[in-house]
Amino acid sequence: MRIIIVGGGEIGYALARELSRDHSLSVVDLDPEVGKRFSALDVAFLAGSGTSADVLGRAGVDGAGLLIACTGLDEVNMVACAVATGLGARRTICFASREDFAGGDSNAETVRKHFGIERIIWPEAQLAAEIERIIAAPGAIDAEVFADGRIRLLEFRLEAHSPLTAAPLAALHLPHGALIVAVKHSDSIEIPRGETQLRHGDKVFVMGTPEAVAQVTPQIQGTSPDRARQMVTIIGGGDVGFRLAQRLEASRDVDVRIIESDRDRGEMLAGALRRALVLNGDGTDLELLESEEIGRSDVLVSVIDNDERNLFASLLGRQLGVRRIITRVSRPANLRLFERVGIDVALSARGAAVSSLVHQIQGGHAHLLAVLEEGQATIVEIAVPAGFRPQALMHMKSPPQSIVGAILRGPDVIIPRGADEIHPGDRLIVFAAAQSVKLVRDYFGSV
Amino acid sequence: MRTLVVIQTTGGFLRFFSLTFLAPLAVALAYGERYDAAVFFGAAVLSSAAGYAMTRGRQTRTDDLKRVEGLAIVAGSWLLLAWFAAIPYLGAGMGPIDAMFESMSGMTTTGATVMRDFSDYGRGLFFWRAMTQWFGGMGVIALFVAVLPRLGIGGRQLFFAEAPGPTEERLTPQIRKTAAALWSVYAGLTLAEFGALMVAGMPVFDSACHALTTLSAGGFSPHPLSIAGYANPAVEWIIIVFMFAAGANFALHYRTIRGEAFALPKDEEFRTYAGIVAAAALLLVVFLRPEIPGFAERLRHGLFQTLTIVTTTGYASTDFQLWNDQARMVLLLLMFIGGCAGSAAGGPKVVRQLLIARYTLLELRRTLHPRGVLPVKLGGRVVSEDVMRGVLVFFLFYLLVFAICTLVVGALGADLVTALTASIACLGNIGPGLNAIGPMANFADLHPASKIVLTAAMWIGRLEVLTVLALLRPEIWRGARFRAPEGLT
Repeated sequence: MRIIIVGGGEIGYALARELSRDHSLSVVDLDPEVGKRFSALDVAFLAGSGTSADVLGRAGVDGAGLLIACTGLDEVNMVACAVATGLGARRTICFASREDFAGGDSNAETVRKHFGIERIIWPEAQLAAEIERIIAAPGAIDAEVFADGRIRLLEFRLEAHSPLTAAPLAALHLPHGALIVAVKHSDSIEIPRGETQLRHGDKVFVMGTPEAVAQVTPQIQGTSPDRARQMVTIIGGGDVGFRLAQRLEASRDVDVRIIESDRDRGEMLAGALRRALVLNGDGTDLELLESEEIGRSDVLVSVIDNDERNLFASLLGRQLGVRRIITRVSRPANLRLFERVGIDVALSARGAAVSSLVHQIQGGHAHLLAVLEEGQATIVEIAVPAGFRPQALMHMKSPPQSIVGAILRGPDVIIPRGADEIHPGDRLIVFAAAQSVKLVRDYFGSV
Repeated sequence: MRTLVVIQTTGGFLRFFSLTFLAPLAVALAYGERYDAAVFFGAAVLSSAAGYAMTRGRQTRTDDLKRVEGLAIVAGSWLLLAWFAAIPYLGAGMGPIDAMFESMSGMTTTGATVMRDFSDYGRGLFFWRAMTQWFGGMGVIALFVAVLPRLGIGGRQLFFAEAPGPTEERLTPQIRKTAAALWSVYAGLTLAEFGALMVAGMPVFDSACHALTTLSAGGFSPHPLSIAGYANPAVEWIIIVFMFAAGANFALHYRTIRGEAFALPKDEEFRTYAGIVAAAALLLVVFLRPEIPGFAERLRHGLFQTLTIVTTTGYASTDFQLWNDQARMVLLLLMFIGGCAGSAAGGPKVVRQLLIARYTLLELRRTLHPRGVLPVKLGGRVVSEDVMRGVLVFFLFYLLVFAICTLVVGALGADLVTALTASIACLGNIGPGLNAIGPMANFADLHPASKIVLTAAMWIGRLEVLTVLALLRPEIWRGARFRAPEGLT
């Protein structure tokens, strides 16, 4: 497929690196200097405006399969998409960073259609939504919801005193409706079996109905659930911090405070937020953190647009006694480092957006639901074809490194055990390691 | 400041205002009061002649009115119109101080009276009294802005110098149309009340007078016992409803009529206003148990007296001077609140008290979080520092004027409660107070100097203090020019 990328920043570069192997790529950017970075990749680089019909024409926009606009300016991205659609591009994807373009209301939808944009991706909002899900699941370090909230996936890191480390999996009594779909032990993901012994420091992935998952949570942590009222401190009132505060303060059980160093931005936040307390100061100022008793927070979220300062603020928070720390990472290379020095959850806005977009482009008919662990594993939804012969899970030779986490049959949700059968017309929520996704797809597609 | 433009504009208003004497003239003729009719005719001739004299000569342009000229025009017009509106009272035999007091009480919708015996006066005069309140309620300047095209964009300055409340609210981009919209809602509600009162059995003349003084939150009644004199619960309920409407923002009424069904309940000030009315009425219902045994009656009087004070109307459905101290205490505190901004009511206004309360509470929170960014918000929007400072300064000046007034009235022989309530009742444009100036009594026995001070308090209170007090700054007058220089005319 011929793909045009407008904008050679971090997102453009990450996309080009992922996509250049299988597709013919042209990258357009105003700054010729940017081209040097792309010379190492097998792509064509054009210096010029992504909104110019001439430049897009030379990039081969007529008949191009896809145009991705990911410059830092929303307006440029929208116009690039509109021009490309007008010149014959089949699909366009537009990155946005502001609510007035990307907001979900019907006006934004009208504008999207008017500009011929197929999809708007708003990485900051996606990140804010993800952080909110994690905060809403006490103790979990990652959380996803599928099938309109009927299925949840939580990720935990096992503490030394967790009851799960007491015996092999088969001897543990997990509630019905919850399933440990995967374990990550020192950087490698495996699908657990009955005899698997969990250890301190492992990450476990639990899938199940919301009720069952809530039951299993105290069992994993070995402690009683958190007190009902949560205090969340957000360091950095940028797009992500603001969106997150907005989402969190909608719930009565959460007290939100947000630390922002820029006076004017702080005033804007205080005006737009209803309940959250806005503090004017530096998130790495120990005196401020102590006088505001940040150590009493249940969760500290550090979302400054600077990795070093985020790390510093997070480590200060840890020192002051905050139980859960969630940090934003801008450079994907820093992700692993952050987790190694004790940050509970490190998340990258652009990274998540890029990997989900790449999977969507490569994915074909299997519907991608989530990308986990920097792309090491994915959750896909598969529709079982009509010709499929019903059979029990334990008799199926399903591909390695994959597991059916849930079966959706009409209105029912089944968290399967070995004896459960798969029928044609079912929809399966499958956890698969990255290298097995294709095998899973082929397996269900070919039978 | 160009004195000429102030004199000419004010004179223009007076010319227009002289026409209003024709209405009571017609009423006096209809009831066969020949002498009163002649007085009204004389007043019309005098004021129109004075107006012509003031507008003589080359016309100055009002397009480029300066702020201070706007203030002078508004404050000056109210004073001048009150003088000429006093002519009929003089004609009816009042002394000049009493006539000015009664006239200012009418124009500013205060409703305090110096009439001892109502049977001394004719129907034409009672109608005139009610009508001055009706013109004062929505604001005479707003009316002039709405109907006099020659004001041009200068009308904007005047409109906001007179309009009650700390915010500039516009319904339409053109200030003339905004003024006209507000006045049409006002007139429509007045007509509705007129009809309702007649259906409830009140005589036509009384219905007209009460409709004019309810919507304006004025409170003059042609009956010596006020509303209590009619002993008609239906009438009291009708007036309760229309007083409540008069105390709310007319811009919101306008938007409701234009199809925005939830314009009123969505407004934070209106919700607070409704909450204050409900809470105060509830307190009165509790406190009045020994006084009024029947619950329905207690609720009616509780609501009526709460509204009459909060909206600064000043009617009485019963003699609340005879109530116990707890109940009278509630009424005294209500005198310091007033109605909503943009309503016909006087007082410091609900929105100001709401903002002051928020500001104070935020200051408490700031001691806990010295680095917190804690703006005062109203209806989800941040209130700017400038507006907040204006509100605080307003209230401080308000209290200052109140204190001076109390001191003077008290020094001249009134007792403590009388002095306190007479001052706030006049400054807040409420009308009756407690003790010697209770709802069934009058202001006639106060010292003449007290009456002059209280007359000034009504004027200052109606124009929201700063409009008048700003004119006391000497630098305004130092550069005053009587004749505009060539080229500017």
